[in-house]
Amino acid sequence: MLQHVYLIPLIPLAASLLILLGAKEDPRSPMPFLGIAATGWCLLQSIAIFYGAATGELSLPYGADWNWFSFGATAGGKPFLYDMPVGVLIDGSAAVMLVVVTLVSFLVQVYSLSYMRGDPRFKRYYAYLSFFTASMLGLVVSSNLLVTFSCWELVGFSSYLLIGFWFERPEPPYAAKKAFITTKLGDLGLYLALMLIFCQVGSFQIPQIREFVARGFMPAAVATAIGLGILCGAAGKSAQFPLFIWLPDAMEGPTPVSALIHAATMVAAGIYLVAKCYFIFAISPVAMETVAWIGAITALLAATMAVVSYDIKRVLAFSTVSQLGFMMCALGSWGFSAGLFHLTTHAAFKALLFLCAGSVIHAVHTNDMRQMGNLDKKMPITFFATLVGTFAIAGIPGFSGFFSKDMILERVFEHDPRLFVILAISACLTAFYMFRLVFMTFLGQERDLDRYLHAHESPWPMTVPLFVLMALAAFSGWLLDRGEIFTRLVNFQALPGIAPAHEAAHAPAYLTWYVTAFVFFAIYLAFRLYGGSNFREAESIKRRCAPVFNLLERRYYLDDIFLALVGLSDRAARLAFWIDSEVVDRFFVDGWGLLMLALARLCHLFDDNLIDRSVDATGGLSVSLGGTLRWIVRRGLVQEYLLWSAAVMSVLTLLTLPAQRYCLGASVGLGLLAILTLLLVRRPR
Amino acid sequence: MNILSLITFLPLAGALLVLGLPKESKRAVQIVALLSSGLTLVLSVGLYFLFDRHTSSMQFVERLPWIPSIGVQYFLGVDGLSYPLVLLTALMSFVSLVASLNIVNRVKEYFFWFLILEVGMLGVFVSLDLVLFYVFWEITLVPMYFLIGIWGGPKKEYAAIKFFLYTLTGSVFMLLGILAVYFKSDPHTFDLLVLLQAHPDWSARFQILIFLAFYLGFAVKVPAFPFHTWLPLAHVEAPTAVSVVLAAVLLKMGVYGIMRVSYGMLPLGFQWFLPFLVIIAVINIVYGALCAMAQTDMKKMVAYSSINHMGYCLLGIAGLTVTGFSGAMLQMINHGLITGMLFILVGVIYDRAHTRDINAFGGLAAKVPLYAGLMSLACFASLGLPGLAGFVSELLCFLGAFARWKVYTAISVIGILTTAAFFLRMIEKVFLGPLNPKWDKLTDLDAREVCALLPLVILTILLGIYPKPALDLMNATVLHMASLLK
Repeated sequence: MLQHVYLIPLIPLAASLLILLGAKEDPRSPMPFLGIAATGWCLLQSIAIFYGAATGELSLPYGADWNWFSFGATAGGKPFLYDMPVGVLIDGSAAVMLVVVTLVSFLVQVYSLSYMRGDPRFKRYYAYLSFFTASMLGLVVSSNLLVTFSCWELVGFSSYLLIGFWFERPEPPYAAKKAFITTKLGDLGLYLALMLIFCQVGSFQIPQIREFVARGFMPAAVATAIGLGILCGAAGKSAQFPLFIWLPDAMEGPTPVSALIHAATMVAAGIYLVAKCYFIFAISPVAMETVAWIGAITALLAATMAVVSYDIKRVLAFSTVSQLGFMMCALGSWGFSAGLFHLTTHAAFKALLFLCAGSVIHAVHTNDMRQMGNLDKKMPITFFATLVGTFAIAGIPGFSGFFSKDMILERVFEHDPRLFVILAISACLTAFYMFRLVFMTFLGQERDLDRYLHAHESPWPMTVPLFVLMALAAFSGWLLDRGEIFTRLVNFQALPGIAPAHEAAHAPAYLTWYVTAFVFFAIYLAFRLYGGSNFREAESIKRRCAPVFNLLERRYYLDDIFLALVGLSDRAARLAFWIDSEVVDRFFVDGWGLLMLALARLCHLFDDNLIDRSVDATGGLSVSLGGTLRWIVRRGLVQEYLLWSAAVMSVLTLLTLPAQRYCLGASVGLGLLAILTLLLVRRPR
Repeated sequence: MNILSLITFLPLAGALLVLGLPKESKRAVQIVALLSSGLTLVLSVGLYFLFDRHTSSMQFVERLPWIPSIGVQYFLGVDGLSYPLVLLTALMSFVSLVASLNIVNRVKEYFFWFLILEVGMLGVFVSLDLVLFYVFWEITLVPMYFLIGIWGGPKKEYAAIKFFLYTLTGSVFMLLGILAVYFKSDPHTFDLLVLLQAHPDWSARFQILIFLAFYLGFAVKVPAFPFHTWLPLAHVEAPTAVSVVLAAVLLKMGVYGIMRVSYGMLPLGFQWFLPFLVIIAVINIVYGALCAMAQTDMKKMVAYSSINHMGYCLLGIAGLTVTGFSGAMLQMINHGLITGMLFILVGVIYDRAHTRDINAFGGLAAKVPLYAGLMSLACFASLGLPGLAGFVSELLCFLGAFARWKVYTAISVIGILTTAAFFLRMIEKVFLGPLNPKWDKLTDLDAREVCALLPLVILTILLGIYPKPALDLMNATVLHMASLLK
């Protein structure tokens, strides 16, 4: 089955194009089923691969490459044709990601059948979803980092399309643009990292890069630069500090999209990318530490912001950011398997929570938790599902999140206790804000009667995916942890000669229960503050700590910084254009033209007044001379004029010629002339 | 078989035929023009199958004495550098002619001048004699002058004269350069292929001086900062189809000149100029993108984005690597396709709404989905989305430059972000959000517009996913060019 693994991204792509171009928009169009079928096929393939790998039937990693295009390159000063390959590379982490992506995508598509019913662009929605699935799967299976990057961008593009899906309202297009630009900002770092990799290694193929690093050809400083560049890209896509500002706004998209793209899969791409390039981080302690600290900071900041939000989807969005921070921090603390394990379990329970939130929003038509309450009896399945998801994310023993979070905390404790403290606090905050969400939404008293009366349980296409995800959120941790299936399948094969950094301490066994106790305390606190029908106590705390709440609600002013940057770039643009139109064009180019024009005027003046006037003056002189002459002779006799002319001519000739030799001739001539003159003058009129 | 002459002068035959037709029979004029240009396109495409991809030498060479007393020849030929551009010229001219079918004013003259323009553009890319090259180079100016000056916008006369004078100033310096190399060469010759071998005898000082002369001529066409300000003006005032060929083909003449003449003939001058060239490239990229961001006129925005994209070409060239050269060559083709598409699309909305102000629209995606889809496609192609043509060539340009200029390349990636910002803002303001009720009656693309756009759309996607056919045409020549470098 592995030799046809390249079909896994191609089939959803084909489905997407067919859906987009193949039929007219119609609410009863069968096209969505095409997308579901395509993803379903991919899901079966992925499960088969995963199962094969877990049982050891398939030997991973598997790779296959084809020639894509050729271009000229230089190596050691000699130009040659470089054949850029495109190919697949399936290792343990790719096998896991395949299952995660196809499973969530499949369930979300089923869920959307009901959620998006009646939307005027129902068909197009499915085309976009299939396109997203295709690019995400391409990102997972590619063996070529350039192709990975291409799919990475396409994933961002589909996210842009889907966030802005309801584009008639003003907010979604803005949120879509913000998401695209913010992630693009991070991608610039990734782009430069790719160039540096190609410059160093002369290839984008992951096995070759790994070989290059393993042989110790890559200096640590270069690895640090590359690692930080990759981290930039990952921070954009996986919403890490300080680029996470786009994710809460991305909630403007349809909720199933948030579940798929902005919770389970796309935002995990950054984590996956860091894992894919882990061997580069492995030789750069600086890059590794940066990953860990960025992750920890993100985890804490996002958790604190989730505590104050009233929008059910935004709470979940901040929670996603926070959990991604956990994963990042795990990766940075040499917890390769732990980070990816949490990625897997998180995909299940966060998708579940988002779909539950979608179910609630579908029922009450608002995102504001202050207008909900007491929905547990009206929507029992959703309530139960949310509860399972919350148990999982809070790390209640036995549920999936408990296993993965425990693994991370242990790993981080051994790496750096300071990071452990940050993550432990974040874990308690997680439990607090998640139970706050459950209490506000489902318990207490109804706060908006209209909405409460309107509420109802969702139809089966929406609840069936909930059941599947519920099972996974509850048991996947236990299943994958059992016999250490996951760590065996997904692990980082250490590079020869490079050991993990020195471990600070060994994690004591009671650590888990210590943290769990605090988690339960946080849940109790949430119950005290939000479990009742009014939140008087919570409100009073909020009033007393207004500055803190304000800071959190303003998201640490990161949005304002972002806006200021946008304003700054706008100003830079206007300045550039002013320089262009006023200085370069008007002053230099037009100025040059005017200078030339002035010069031309000057020439004209000179020409007109001096040259031409002197010509005219010459003419005038001759005219006046002639006039004078005529005035002197003024008889009108042509012959007489001729005589004068001849006389003057001969005199002139005489004057110019040497005198002696022509004396005789001249006197004779003069004599003849005189006779002639007399003859002429005496002639009667 | 004189296939290159046939390709080059078929539009001229068409132009003469158009001249002979009565002024009133507009339909006949259009048919003749389309036929002659279409035939040129067919022949150029036919050449694709005859073109030998494994040799870097000139193919389909034609050589006749023209002015024997001073050694001027009629000398044509194409290689991997010029043939893709011939193909691009033939395609874009035909597409522009299709897009021009809605011209109603002085139809006969319009198509006459357009065909003459096509002759000039094709001639520049196929001629291998410097005098012939110069003649074709200058021939393009006259039709452009009339096309902008007669069928242009409100400030057409000013734009036309500025365009004409600016480019003429540049080409005068080029003429000086041509004469200088003629008299320097021994025996005196205008033969480009001979001159390409002559540089070992030339001193560095001479090469630098002559490089600058040629550079002035080419830089105005590219256009490279600071000689670019004629471009936004000419674009804004020119009619749609003229903008299309201006951006898609005429700008490429500058880059082609730098790669063909300056680089090969004056390597020492080229290397001396390299640090300046890379700075100019970075300015073109970042500053061009910033200027584009400040625009509210869509056409002017696209015009400034052209400056930004030609900066990528310059950056690739400045890398002085095979990869960078490949990137620059591919970028010329891709930019031609993508910007051609953008200008046609901007023309479409201007024809209907009589405004190009970004702020005047809103929510059009619901009203004109096909138009919105294609415009978004063109914008994303232009901002370098993988899977569309622009990405691969930009990447190759950057890769090529990065090997030599790490810091400058790192600065230029800001241009990518800025490009994304202004195109996305345009999409948001024009197509998304609530529908502006003023445009309730707007109609979607008609058949003529779709016909003009479709080949460009298909090629943009095709070259984005599978750039191999285009790169294979160029590879042998690029490798040969790189071997000149010591």
